[in-house]
Amino acid sequence: MDDAVTAERRERVLMISPYPPVRDGIASYALQTVRALRREGLDVEVLSPGPTAAHHHLDLRGPRGALALAKRIRDYDRVIVQFHPDFFYTDPGSARARLAESTALMVPFALARRLEVVIHEIDGRFGDPRRPDGQVARRLWHLPESIKVHTASERTSFINDFGVDPARVELIAHGADFRPHTSMDRAAARASLDIAPDAFVFLGIGFVQPSKGFDRAMEAFDGLAVAGARLDVVGSVRTDDPDMVRHAADLADLAASVDGATLHLGYVSDELFDRWIVAADVVVLPYRNIWSSGVMERAALFGRPVIATRVGGLAEQAAGQTDVRFVDDDDELRRAMIERLPLADVPATPSWAEELPEGGDLRAELQDRVRLRASSRPSLSRSTRPGAGGTTPAATVAEVGLRSAPLRRLPRVGPPDTNHGRRSVRLVKKLLRKATAFQVDPILARLNELQDATIKALEAEARATQARPAASGTEGAEPAATRSAG
Amino acid sequence: MSSIEPIDRRGRIAVVPARYGEGMVGGAEIVLAEMGRRLAARGWDVEVLTTCALDHFGWENVLPAGESVEGGLKVRRFPAVFEDDPERGWLDHAVATGQPLGLVQQQRWINAGMRSPEMYHHLLDHGEDYRALIYGPYVFWPAYAGSQLLPEKSVLWTCLHDEPAAYLDVFQPVLSGIAGLFFQTEPEHELAHRVSPKLAPHDVVGCGVEVPESYDPQGFRERYDLPERFVLYAGRREGAKGWEEMLAAFGRAVEGGLPLSLVTFGSGDVNPPPSLEGRVFDLGFLPDAERDNAFAAAEAYIQSSRFEAFSRTVMEAWLAGTPVIANGGSDVVRWHCERSGAGLVYDDEAEFVECLRLVAEAPDMARRLAKGGRDYVLESYTWDRVLDGVEKGLSTWTTP
Repeated sequence: MDDAVTAERRERVLMISPYPPVRDGIASYALQTVRALRREGLDVEVLSPGPTAAHHHLDLRGPRGALALAKRIRDYDRVIVQFHPDFFYTDPGSARARLAESTALMVPFALARRLEVVIHEIDGRFGDPRRPDGQVARRLWHLPESIKVHTASERTSFINDFGVDPARVELIAHGADFRPHTSMDRAAARASLDIAPDAFVFLGIGFVQPSKGFDRAMEAFDGLAVAGARLDVVGSVRTDDPDMVRHAADLADLAASVDGATLHLGYVSDELFDRWIVAADVVVLPYRNIWSSGVMERAALFGRPVIATRVGGLAEQAAGQTDVRFVDDDDELRRAMIERLPLADVPATPSWAEELPEGGDLRAELQDRVRLRASSRPSLSRSTRPGAGGTTPAATVAEVGLRSAPLRRLPRVGPPDTNHGRRSVRLVKKLLRKATAFQVDPILARLNELQDATIKALEAEARATQARPAASGTEGAEPAATRSAG
Repeated sequence: MSSIEPIDRRGRIAVVPARYGEGMVGGAEIVLAEMGRRLAARGWDVEVLTTCALDHFGWENVLPAGESVEGGLKVRRFPAVFEDDPERGWLDHAVATGQPLGLVQQQRWINAGMRSPEMYHHLLDHGEDYRALIYGPYVFWPAYAGSQLLPEKSVLWTCLHDEPAAYLDVFQPVLSGIAGLFFQTEPEHELAHRVSPKLAPHDVVGCGVEVPESYDPQGFRERYDLPERFVLYAGRREGAKGWEEMLAAFGRAVEGGLPLSLVTFGSGDVNPPPSLEGRVFDLGFLPDAERDNAFAAAEAYIQSSRFEAFSRTVMEAWLAGTPVIANGGSDVVRWHCERSGAGLVYDDEAEFVECLRLVAEAPDMARRLAKGGRDYVLESYTWDRVLDGVEKGLSTWTTP
């Protein structure tokens, strides 16, 4: 028996991260890393922000969370932090909160024997050296032995924004430790998801929130549901923030107005996540902003091609992958989707240059066309589309649009303006805004919902009114009571 | 020169803009200043009564009080008083959002903003020296307070917008009990009748616009290192002008592939989101000649404000041959667009984006659209025509 080996104490590692079964990209990422480290023979324990499969859990937010973490951190030889501001800061947007919480976080960071931090997201403005919170953040980021990021541009930004020694900021491959969560092949995955074997599937997957840009994919997909093409957006809402919940509802409305698009809203396990990727033909990542993407790594893991917007460090992350097409805007996104279709005979969206009116009242013609085109394009901001396919007569669109115009012209109700010529007054206004947001914001959201609902009702009524004479003209007179009951 | 003869130009008149001087942003104030200079050129004895402030946010007294001669006119400046009144914030908000306020609260509101007690007392002491006092716009304290002090001599360059403040009881005497009201457009005139059933004597006189002799769009782009293709917004960058909402919609148009940039000049914070980095160009304040060049260099001019009594910037765009994309919520600008045929209106973000796409994809068509704009301005809004109306009003409503 090799007593020397067994008696030798294994290196104790603490991973601080969200963790499964909580569904979260960083949790999945951490799981893969834990698996790899344990396979190396290390003694790895996990501490997560809430109850999970982790060995420990602790609410890490705020100074109290940071100080509680400090009590535990000395027990380990090495500490790995999967860092996202939401895990440690109660209100990452507040400079005052960041000042207090970064100061407290310096304690566990300083006490750790060996500290590695993997940065998943951070706002470079938090390191502004002209502000007290920025100075503290810079001191905080001097403490880890190593800081890991996924792309070269993230590395450059982090070094510049926080004044960190470049030698301590390392690049690591995002998907280095990724393993598949499903063993299904494409046919089985499709069968399990009720997808026809010959369908062409564009997939958008991840948390449903504006930054993911799933609405962009839906708008780009409009009119492409030819020859069995479909767009599936799969995910859940990460928080119960009213803006996020509202976005999901708007996205569902948008999906209903785009032929072939479906929003699958709900919990997505790691296994289901991978199954969707296996079932897809192309994974679409129309992000508005992101540092790096776990979805892109999982698509690569299963050899699925990707169409992604050129944001954050995605281009660098994809450097080693073979089938990633980057796009700069939604027009290019649409063209990239069309290129992927097996049958690319898709009716093109007419350009303004191709449908110029001649003679007559130029302004009136252009104004009518603006209304018609605006109402026939799917849009997250305007889900009262008369019907896909553009078959609604221009006169109907104009009439319907005129009915709702006074309401549509009303700007969305937003929070009170905090702008002011004097800095002190601006500051006070901003403080007041924060103090009253919990009461004001739900009212604002409801007002905007009422505006949308009224527009929808008015336009539906206008369309119904327009349809009635046509119907009665073709089908003969119908008793008024019957019509109103129908 | 005037086409109305004879005009009795005896007696001193004062134009009373709340701010006057170089570097000031404000349509009505600029018009009153120019009107004063041009009335003086027609033989009137004109002086300017104004405050020492140039900025309408902080009302800091940046210029010395007292008498001076500026631009050929005698100017009397009085300190602006703008106190940290804790009531003002909520009263402003209450008025802006149309909450019902009693008369006492309305009076507190109008007095919680900028005031100029010294100007008021100058009028109290020397009101008899003036034949007429021309105030504007209606919503500023000098117009409210001064016109109530000397109503028979007070004439208002009204600048009425369809906003909650217009319906406040405190402004009813201003609209109904003074010597006369000048309106700039028919929609403003109609609005005034809706707001006040018994209007003071009034006339629609239009608004004068300077006609530049020439434009240098290419030089302008080069001097400011601007992209070849851009749309323009000029004026106050603030919520009341629809700036933030327009900027967000422009961002979504860019996300959709719009190949245009946005150039802006004027006052207020621009605050472009990170996604618009490199696509929004803030030029701050521009000299007059460069302002004109900016309008000529733009592919389209955006008027995002719902609250316009006239919209001089729209006229400046049309003079430069540039089409206009305007918020359809403004009756006045919609009226201009329909009459001139040189602008499109939008009722929501989707229509705004479509207007921008038209400009991007069919620039020749957009230029064709703008064609009637210049003639429209030249036919309706030259200073000579406007001054004829103003002189007619002054001679009818006031006596030397």
